Amino acid sequence: MSRHATVALKNDLAELERLSNVIEGFGKRHALPTAALFDLHLALDEILTNVVSYGYDDQHEHEIIVRLTLGGDHDSRQIEVEVEDDGRPFNPLETAPPDVSTSVEDRPIGGLGIHLARRVMDDLEYRRQRGKNVLVMRKTVAG
Amino acid sequence: MQIAEAKKNAVVVLSVDGRVDASNAATLEQKILAVIAAGESRLVIDCSRLEYMSSAGLRVLLIAAKRLTTGKLALASLNPQTRDVFDIAGFSSILQIHRTQDDAVAAVQ
Repeated sequence: MSRHATVALKNDLAELERLSNVIEGFGKRHALPTAALFDLHLALDEILTNVVSYGYDDQHEHEIIVRLTLGGDHDSRQIEVEVEDDGRPFNPLETAPPDVSTSVEDRPIGGLGIHLARRVMDDLEYRRQRGKNVLVMRKTVAG
Repeated sequence: MQIAEAKKNAVVVLSVDGRVDASNAATLEQKILAVIAAGESRLVIDCSRLEYMSSAGLRVLLIAAKRLTTGKLALASLNPQTRDVFDIAGFSSILQIHRTQDDAVAAVQ
């Protein structure tokens, strides 16, 4: 059974549905727990939304590559997901966490996506490589 | 995503079915803003059939909360995963979340 899945997405929010199907297929194939799958989904969704919404200065079609890999052994499996885009350089690890304790009136609208991705995944790594942003996110799944 | 609308006494109940992400959050936003624009001031979002919500959906809920008077927006029946997202985002402390639709309706009544 393949422990990899790769999908090339266009910079269009409508592609989130296709991404969703790929993640669900990957989860079913490897019998991943619902909660872990939900987190993976959320993190990828937020990162992709960010790239599509803010990553490009032109109106052209771009390709964003998502690679899913299941590593580790049977007792402790690790999901690794890599997102590669040719948008403007952007390191999500350098964004300041939002203040999530203010009142409704003072709470800024937006800025939560990257915070959510960082919180639900175990670790994130960013590098700028050959003119592309490469973000790697990992999550360990028990059992 | 599908949205069903019902009215219980003076409270509008919007039941959201499916997934809310950046590709469709605008539809939910338009629906909520239309309800508020029509003069409704008490709103319950029933999430018993909501599978998933990303920050794009949270953004819409925050906009609604800012428009309505404090205490007149409530959510009902969040699944555990979505409830976690609300907790991480710090939304559990600014939005009323109830176990059932009836509880939520009573709370904004």
